[in-house]
Amino acid sequence: MAAPKIRSELRFILNGQDVSLRDVAPDHTLLDWLRLSKLLKGTKEGCAEGDCGACTVLVGRLTPSGGLVYEGVNACIRFMGSLDGCHVVTVEHVAARDGKLHPVQQAMVDYHGSQCGFCTPGFVMSLYALWMQTPNPTDQQIETALQGNLCRCTGYEPILRAARAISSYGGTEKDPLLVERDAMIARLKALKDGARVEIGEGKSRFVVPASLDDFAAVLEASTTATVVAGSTDVGLWVTKHMRDISPVVFIAGLDELKSISVAGDTVTIGAGVTYTEALKTLANHVPALGPLIERIGGQQVRNMGTIGGNIANGSPIGDTPPALIALDATLTLRKGSERRTIRLEDYFIAYGKQDRQPGEFVEAVHVPAPAAGEKFAVYKVTKRRDEDITASLGAFRLSLSADGTVTGITIAYGGMAATPKRAFAVEKALLGQKWTEATVEVAMEKYAEDYTPLTDMRATAEYRALVAKNLLLRFYTETTSGAATAQVSRYEAA
Amino acid sequence: MLDRSKIVGSPVSRIDGPLKVTGAAKYAAEHFEPGMLFGHVALATIAAGRILAIDTRAAERLQGVVKIYTHENRPKAAYRDSKWKDAVALPGHPFRPLENDRVLFDGQPVAFVVAETPEAARDAAGLIHVHYAAETPNTHIVAEQHNSYEPPVARMKQFLPPPPRGDAEAAFAAAPHKVSADYVLPGEHHNPMELFAATVRFEDEGRLTIQDKTQGSQNSRDYVCGVFGLDPDKVIVKNDFVGGAFGQALRPKHHLFLAVMASLDLSRSMKVEMTRREMFYLSWRPSCVQTVSLAADDEGYLQAVLHHAVHTTSRHEDYQENVANWSGLAYKCDNVKISYELVKLDLATPGDMRAPGAASGVAALETAMDELACEVGIDPLELRVRNFVHRDQNQDKAITSKALHACYREGAERFGWVARSPTPRSMRDGNDLVGWGMAGGIWEAMMSKGEAKVRLSADGHVTVSAAASDIGTGTYTILGQLAAEVFDCPIDAVTVDIGRSNLPKTGVEGGSWTAATTGSAVQAAAKAVVKTLLGHAQSMENSPLAEASEEQVEISEGRLVLEANHQVGTAIADIMAAAGLDAVEEQAKVGPDILSMRRYAAYSHSAVFVEVKIDEELGVVRVTRVVSAVAAGRILNAKTARSQILGGVVMGIGMALHEEGLIDHRTGRIMNHNLAEYHVPAHADIHDIDVIFVEEQDQRASPIGVKGLGEIGIVGVAAAVSNAIFHATGKRIRNLPITIDKILESEAVQ
Ligand SMILES: Cc1cc2nc3c(=O)[nH]c(=O)nc-3n(C[C@@H](O)[C@@H](O)[C@H](O)COP(=O)(O)OP(=O)(O)OC[C@H]3O[C@@H](n4cnc5c(N)ncnc54)[C@H](O)[C@@H]3O)c2cc1C
Ligand code: FES
Ligand code: FES
Repeated sequence: MAAPKIRSELRFILNGQDVSLRDVAPDHTLLDWLRLSKLLKGTKEGCAEGDCGACTVLVGRLTPSGGLVYEGVNACIRFMGSLDGCHVVTVEHVAARDGKLHPVQQAMVDYHGSQCGFCTPGFVMSLYALWMQTPNPTDQQIETALQGNLCRCTGYEPILRAARAISSYGGTEKDPLLVERDAMIARLKALKDGARVEIGEGKSRFVVPASLDDFAAVLEASTTATVVAGSTDVGLWVTKHMRDISPVVFIAGLDELKSISVAGDTVTIGAGVTYTEALKTLANHVPALGPLIERIGGQQVRNMGTIGGNIANGSPIGDTPPALIALDATLTLRKGSERRTIRLEDYFIAYGKQDRQPGEFVEAVHVPAPAAGEKFAVYKVTKRRDEDITASLGAFRLSLSADGTVTGITIAYGGMAATPKRAFAVEKALLGQKWTEATVEVAMEKYAEDYTPLTDMRATAEYRALVAKNLLLRFYTETTSGAATAQVSRYEAA
Repeated sequence: MLDRSKIVGSPVSRIDGPLKVTGAAKYAAEHFEPGMLFGHVALATIAAGRILAIDTRAAERLQGVVKIYTHENRPKAAYRDSKWKDAVALPGHPFRPLENDRVLFDGQPVAFVVAETPEAARDAAGLIHVHYAAETPNTHIVAEQHNSYEPPVARMKQFLPPPPRGDAEAAFAAAPHKVSADYVLPGEHHNPMELFAATVRFEDEGRLTIQDKTQGSQNSRDYVCGVFGLDPDKVIVKNDFVGGAFGQALRPKHHLFLAVMASLDLSRSMKVEMTRREMFYLSWRPSCVQTVSLAADDEGYLQAVLHHAVHTTSRHEDYQENVANWSGLAYKCDNVKISYELVKLDLATPGDMRAPGAASGVAALETAMDELACEVGIDPLELRVRNFVHRDQNQDKAITSKALHACYREGAERFGWVARSPTPRSMRDGNDLVGWGMAGGIWEAMMSKGEAKVRLSADGHVTVSAAASDIGTGTYTILGQLAAEVFDCPIDAVTVDIGRSNLPKTGVEGGSWTAATTGSAVQAAAKAVVKTLLGHAQSMENSPLAEASEEQVEISEGRLVLEANHQVGTAIADIMAAAGLDAVEEQAKVGPDILSMRRYAAYSHSAVFVEVKIDEELGVVRVTRVVSAVAAGRILNAKTARSQILGGVVMGIGMALHEEGLIDHRTGRIMNHNLAEYHVPAHADIHDIDVIFVEEQDQRASPIGVKGLGEIGIVGVAAAVSNAIFHATGKRIRNLPITIDKILESEAVQ
């Protein structure tokens, strides 16, 4: 591979203006830059950890197919280095260029969606992103779009009413971002020069690789570098734990890592695919994964966070690993030009320890659909329904013979052990038995052999032990009562 | 005059709305001063003990660091406690940042870094190493309850328990039906979305202009002047926009002290902004343990009420709030005994949080009422109706108004309460258990002293000014509406100038009294303008208003006219021209009517109805429906009013299901100091909430007939949710919040 051209300048567009920066720290956040360097104070800081949405801005980027999408993201955990070639839109850029309020803003005023106003710019941006794509959203779409925005004053209902009314204030055809779309695509294309971006020296350096191969080469040469995809985990290492993450390799812009392909019954998802991008295909392929993904973080987190990062991070409470383990997913890891594919389950070795060599990275995850007749379900239980980290998550895949004997069962949990983990003892107690309540009740007692859960802020150990059993019971009931098992109803904590 | 209500009472949009939706509204941290420095606080990591040494060497070496303050080099500030006491200070010793080597609570400021950039200040704060001699902290209210005491100095007389009446113990013993239980409430944290911050502009001749996140600009000014011995004429504190506060910004916080201290010491402008984590070590709703015992006869008439409450305070101050007295006045009962004590723990001083005291005390009382209804075997709403009282028996005073029956009736009807099946666990929706619960709410309708100035220009433009704050409550809009009403002009013709300490004096914005107080002052000043105008009109030759008294005139369409005949009058412009004026300005001062207060007590009331749906196998609760029926006097603006109640209801749902400061009692440290683990309600937690304002006329509570709405919305909600959960599951969970694990692990009674 020919070494790419190197550029030591970050280039993107802020609102209407071209920006090029040579002096950017690897952990410089977009929020700090907007508020402190650009004195654009409309974007607020309420937590600096991705929880409140006050910092929501839109990031527009070219899609691999040449389109331009705008998505709401949390500026507080978005690093500057990941913005190369993007269009950043802040609340200051939403009203018409003559100052007339945008339909989103006018609706928020008229429906009293703003009280103290501190959360308001964030809500405006989230609603703007929604309205651009779905001008007449359903209540459920509004709710999903606003999961990542907290408001302590209004009680939300006025915001919901504003959201429903936006389109009555004007159609998208006059929206400045949509009117200027083609021109913006041209401007963003002009920024794509195929170069690798390298800024900073030595340890405090970051790289935006030019291509997937370039990424492989960069990481192999710099094995201690932190790989940053969506930064929804890494962002917190910086803002919450004050950790030094440099040097950094930013991979969110690599189109080759964004591929989603379906071959036979298996979907292959590139490590750079975000939750939002994966949602449709995955939900088609394994319907139970749709509602699960929609309960990961808020919309802003799903617009940035990747399944690759969720796996690579190795957390015991990541939501996708147990589900994907139960589906018998495999993982392709790559180091330089070497690739190997392992069972996802084998990737998680111990707390904080995964089967990944220095210089190696996650390239793709392969997710087989349940075979015909197999039943699959995943249940996520949290303290607060939305935008909350799992207290316990159980995923189940079952096949039965014609006479109701269990011929295959895979069960994996999150939040029950130091890694996402299979419940082998329970599986063993079920396999070869008749799928009856009596069998399930016997098997439920085996959880004690599989897991010794802990008490923490999210739930007590006793709760976890009990709910693990109840989830199996729930799976049993749903598979036998004829209820759609692959579907998880909206509110049943699942 | 105001009752013609063209503008007041109508749902006018907030006049500050456009600034907020465009991001143009600037909050305390968002003001920029050339050459300013940035401060960042280093926090204690123990809850009790002493600082042995602070190593700031690494921090000092960091580029951009200007100075690091610790207790060893802090510039001098006032010596006497009295100088540190702000307008809402408590009995005890106010906290003095960086005063000495004592650590009184987790997260106490122990060092303050000043640097050229915020990043340098933050990074340097992380490099400071503090060596402590830690002591064993006591932070567990239940474990320390035996050390409780009656506050030796009362914060306010009305917080003291009323004298016992009748013989509550004997009546309790003799009654056929009784319930008695302990209720435990955790500490809660306000978590307004805006972080505390102050920007100090250092000007010539020692003048300071300070942008502070506060509920009272004059309180912050007076505090700063007291502590640093500054001339009040040289200090201006502003709070144009406040990103929520809920009581947390009533008292000045350490950021203000530190920002001003460094600004004076270094002769530079300064900015200090807190982190979300720091917000957890400030005023908070205290953890609280209560015992409520109720007894009734066979018909449910209350025979005895006993309420004992103990809540947390800090080592150095006696925070107090009215927790238990509500039990002596909410219902008719002649045998009442109320007691109230504090317990000192190694935690920051608690503070007022939305409906302080009532939110906690009424949660216990109204849960106990539900338990009593089950015990007697009557409907919980009927139990409350039977025990209705139109008198404050605690103070033996009449009540200005109490349209609570209407709340019960209209709320129950809207909710469909008649369809409730009385037996727990008897209602279902698919797999979910369904529960219906209700509770009553009560809050004091307060008015304090306040002033306002109103100016009417010849061109019809109106300016209203007062030092009041708008913390999201709609003060800008309401004051504008009140003036527009008197001058019969559109609200756009009114400029509302508030949020500045050098404007007419008002108290802090809290306890729901701003609308009543400043609103009344604005109305009085506006009427004074009309009166002056009438005087000028009458000095005109052949004035058609020559014989009119001030009660007989009003302003209509730019003219001063006879109320009874709008044909008769004179244009405002002409009156001013004749008097040679371009504007008329008057200031007015209002205060509570002392005579009336001797005879009357004023409260707002509510009835809250809640539906929950529960997935029992997982312990997951959804609050699917709420109807809150409120009697709070006159409603000035239906939009802002409704939002105030909605916000309160939602915070009450948070209190019932989520909100809890989690302390590791071995170390005394707060564990969930972020919004990921301290759960405030999110959008999807909230479903159908209906707010009803019942008709209530009350000219005694305040001259403009309002009682305030900021607090009543939350009161009773937690109990209503808890009662609904009991109705759904048969599980009575008396320690909030009712989390998934408590539901799953509790046993159903019966
Ligand atoms: C507010 C909020 C709410 C959240 N809620 C949930 C939730 O409900 N459920 C849940 O499961 N998670 C949740 N998360 C975490 C979730 O967003 C992440 O786990 C996400 O999936 C990680 O993806 P990322 O692209 O952001 O990873 P990053 O933060 O960029 O990286 C995470 C880790 O993976 C490594 N990494 C990333 N990509 C690769 C690669 N290709 N090869 C090797 N290593 C790689 C990084 O070096 C790092 O160690 C939440 C996060 C936030 C901020
Ligand atoms: S500041 Fe709270 S999500 Fe970014
Ligand atoms: S309006 Fe205050 S936080 Fe939403």
